[in-house]
Amino acid sequence: MAITKSKRYVNIIDTTLRNGEQTAGVVFSKHEKIRIAKMLDEIGIPEIEIGTPSLGAAEREIIKEIVKDSFNSKLFVYCEAEPENIEYAVQCGAENVIINISTSDIHLKEKYKKNKTWVINKLKETIRVARQNNLNFIVSAEDATRTDLGFLLKLISIAKKKDAYRFRICDTVSKFDPFRTFLYISTISNATNFPLEVYNHNDFGMATANGIAAIRGSAVSLVVSVGGLGEGTGNAAMEEIVMALKYLEDIELGIETSKFREIAEYVARASSRAIPVWKAIVGTNVFAHESGIHADGVIKNPKNYEVFNPSEVGLTRQLVVGKHSGSHTILHKFKEFDIELTDKQANEILTLARAMSIDLKRPLFEKELMYIYNEYSKKNKSRKEQEVES
Amino acid sequence: MREIDLLTEFSQKAGTEIDLKNIKIDDTTLRDGEQTAGVVFANDEKIYIAKMLDKVGVHQIEAGIPTMGGDEKEAIKKIASLGLSCSVLGWNRAVKSDIDASVECGVDAVAVSISSSDIHIEQKLRKSREWVLESVKTSVDYAKSFNLYVSVNAEDASRSDMEFLLKFARTARDAGADRLRYCDTLGILDPFETFMRVKNIIDIIGMDIEMHTHNDFGMAIANAIAGIKAGAIYVNTTINGLGERAGNAAFEELVMALKYIEGVDLGFNTTLFRTLSEYVARASDRILPTWKPIVGSNLFVYESESKASGILSNPETYELFNENDVGLERKVILGKYSGVNTITYKMGLLGIKIKRKEAEELAEIIRDKTISFKRALFDSEIIDTYKSYKGRSGKSKEAKRKVSDGNNKK
Repeated sequence: MAITKSKRYVNIIDTTLRNGEQTAGVVFSKHEKIRIAKMLDEIGIPEIEIGTPSLGAAEREIIKEIVKDSFNSKLFVYCEAEPENIEYAVQCGAENVIINISTSDIHLKEKYKKNKTWVINKLKETIRVARQNNLNFIVSAEDATRTDLGFLLKLISIAKKKDAYRFRICDTVSKFDPFRTFLYISTISNATNFPLEVYNHNDFGMATANGIAAIRGSAVSLVVSVGGLGEGTGNAAMEEIVMALKYLEDIELGIETSKFREIAEYVARASSRAIPVWKAIVGTNVFAHESGIHADGVIKNPKNYEVFNPSEVGLTRQLVVGKHSGSHTILHKFKEFDIELTDKQANEILTLARAMSIDLKRPLFEKELMYIYNEYSKKNKSRKEQEVES
Repeated sequence: MREIDLLTEFSQKAGTEIDLKNIKIDDTTLRDGEQTAGVVFANDEKIYIAKMLDKVGVHQIEAGIPTMGGDEKEAIKKIASLGLSCSVLGWNRAVKSDIDASVECGVDAVAVSISSSDIHIEQKLRKSREWVLESVKTSVDYAKSFNLYVSVNAEDASRSDMEFLLKFARTARDAGADRLRYCDTLGILDPFETFMRVKNIIDIIGMDIEMHTHNDFGMAIANAIAGIKAGAIYVNTTINGLGERAGNAAFEELVMALKYIEGVDLGFNTTLFRTLSEYVARASDRILPTWKPIVGSNLFVYESESKASGILSNPETYELFNENDVGLERKVILGKYSGVNTITYKMGLLGIKIKRKEAEELAEIIRDKTISFKRALFDSEIIDTYKSYKGRSGKSKEAKRKVSDGNNKK
């Protein structure tokens, strides 16, 4: 029954600076864009989408500056299929472009108000200009998961004939679950034998799972963004994909994961979006344990409730004292303060701590725990003294 | 190739053969949700959330942990006595005294939870497999003696030896348990593994299965759906995915994914989703991210020309469901990625009709502004921008008039 997972290389292309910034309300400054690009480069992200040249002079200046610098990552710019947009890319000094065009009937009818022939011609025209300028290009099919399969295969064969670098399949409206993603990608991959890249949205919370399904269906590359930043619900989160590939699929990309928290924080500030404390992989609460059962397990052996060590993603473990804590947490916490409690003391302090936590509607700070302890010992002391006096 | 063939078979099976009807939601916002480090609900909040869940249409509510006593027990008692349409379940360790506490609360169902993985049995419980099976048997027997609906929770099932897990399930079934909760306690499965393992249990033991999934690697929803496709009929969810660490399968995401991706409509009142999510966000003191799937306030807000152009012509170009379906609002804002169509539409909403050329020029001005402000523009700023733009293009005439006025005075 067990499935042997093949050891193989998977590419990721980060679009934080392109589709991430395209999120309604998000704007990066020039300084931030350059910094994010450098951070992604430093941790070893193989490919980065850095911007959209057709967006105007200011954006082009930023792209120019990033392209001029020396990066290990391969840098891509994004163009809607239109020869003019390729010219803008060339002006920026870009060497790699993504050529995007919608392919579904509904987009053709309602967005472009054109037919399939128009799409083919527009794509060919744009590819021609890209090739004239010696650009390396990915062809991206927007709304591919709602596209007539025959038409999609035709576009892939055009891309293949014109020596495209890869073909991108976009699940623009999150239409697929992982099983359909797998079937779709493996079918297309078998039929075309061309390198496929998959772009997912998180509308139903399945972006990462669909990315993994695509890899299992023999896609070679995934589009990701830091923290999943992107239009609407966002994209597959870079940190989730990297860690899921590593721990669930045994595919190690060699990326420096210990910088994940730092990068997520930087992007969160630059996009004015706080990282939820429960954000998978990088949320501060991911390694916080409160409930008696979990905390007790983690104290005995972190592996009871953790798959990897917090330092691996730049986080730290916390034991939180609150309503659901057990006496082991109390014993352990006070040991950290160099106070050895008996089981009886721990249980009595636990009762006080739980009551206080319910009253405050939050866990306790370490100081508050000490106040409880101080009052508790004072009371016990005076009780003992009274007993002695009487 | 072998891997591909196997998975193709599974995917096809998962796609067609499974009857997805009779899926039930057991919401654990009040138990696993509250168990999240740092989260405490007030009793009245718990009761209010229970009432809302019932109103939305949830089949079962996991109301809390009776054996904790005190306030917690009071809240569960109260919820069990509300006369809700849904079942009310109390969570227990596989211990008689825990079950006694549940009985005292008047719940109609209990979860009896115990770890089934060797690492938990050895490192956490510090017991043996035999002890675990014995505990399952005695506690199910005991709970059944009170005529309760019994869910046996295999904690850390995803790290359990399959042979032992089957024995565990068989023990539970033979003792009369109504279902087995398959807990991917650490969120370490992907949908394909989930599908195969759950299917295996169902094929061999043939009992009702409930999925309890965690989101540590972003797979909670996908794994819950994989479990359903393998034949599980219950899913354990929480509002907003509230839960330990990265949280659980989010109730609202699961319900909508079932409806719009799998074609299974549970008939829930989805228009209350935003309200419910907001309430739980406040009660748990956790902001609702604007990009939260299904209920985030930014989901129907459009700025980029590429999306707005489609949406303004027909929302179905980028949406599978409507903002009203989940109690949200639609909006168009202007920012760095806005273009002619977006701007023309937005100005129209603000009561200003503009020409294409004006829209093109405005697009550049607005783009520069948003870059320097590092955000989208407020409506008042858009109007102001338009006014000064009109002022500028009408300036030459204006200037001439002023000059001639001056001349007249002289």
